[in-house]
Amino acid sequence: MKRTLIFITLITAGINAFAATSVKLKVNGMVCAFCAQGIEKRLNKLSSTQAVFVDLKQKIVAVEAKEGQTLDIKTITNEIVDAGYDVVKAETVTQSVAEIKAAMKGKK
Amino acid sequence: MKKFLLSICLVCTPLSVHAGPMGFKNSVMSMGDFSANWREGFANYAFTPRDAVGAEALWMRSDNKQRVRELKEITYTRLLSRWNMPEAQANIWLVAGGGIVTGNDFADTQTIITPGLQLDYETTRVYLASNARLYRAKNLNHDYASIRAGFSFYEVDYDQTQPWLILEARRMRGLSDRTEITPLLRLIHNRYFVELGVNNSQQTRFNFMYIF
Repeated sequence: MKRTLIFITLITAGINAFAATSVKLKVNGMVCAFCAQGIEKRLNKLSSTQAVFVDLKQKIVAVEAKEGQTLDIKTITNEIVDAGYDVVKAETVTQSVAEIKAAMKGKK
Repeated sequence: MKKFLLSICLVCTPLSVHAGPMGFKNSVMSMGDFSANWREGFANYAFTPRDAVGAEALWMRSDNKQRVRELKEITYTRLLSRWNMPEAQANIWLVAGGGIVTGNDFADTQTIITPGLQLDYETTRVYLASNARLYRAKNLNHDYASIRAGFSFYEVDYDQTQPWLILEARRMRGLSDRTEITPLLRLIHNRYFVELGVNNSQQTRFNFMYIF
């Protein structure tokens, strides 16, 4: 039993170690392609950014971290605020941008 | 707040072919507005999220094709206020310029100033804007006003092409006695923006915008 539990723990830890980390934000005022473009360009310039996804309909911005790097929610929030928009919710999730995108598409 | 901003947009007056007269910080925005009596080219650089400097060239002709004005100016654009709402955005912009104007019915080049205000309200499906701009030089008054309202046919993801139908009414003092009314088909795709329409004088109108 003990061995089984240790095995499961190790497997779970291994999966988590390779899981992508992203910051997901709800943004007010983001209504047009130009808004999305400005936000995407700014966030892509951050050194720890792997990928960015913007969903205009659901007002969601997702930023995926490069492997082994950490995203700073405050920095990302400041970039969006500097671009002229309001961040109303921000959270770190263990999903890649592709996974978030797929989930968003599924909601539509 | 939404109703208040909508009221302002509807009773005040506009210009730009797009939601805002400047792009995001460190971007260059270029735009053009072309018809038989109006040819305008404009570009500006956003050096902060709220400020941009640029240059504009404008050629205008009276309805009877007798009088022509050519204007070249340096512009300053400032986002005065922005309201970010869950499903909408509203803005007040200052667009001001100073430069020179020439005409075929007066001698010499004159200095011209062109202060103006733009108000806009936009959702992913609705667009409203009004713009007022003064074009003043010695013995010249070509004050300009426009209002735009439109809707998109459907929502899209931002990397897909979105079609809009926009109706614009605009008027300029001193060169035209009639209000120009133009229904325009607007297409937005990523950083591309084009509008094509025919005004109430049966003249073709073409607008574009691109952000670098």
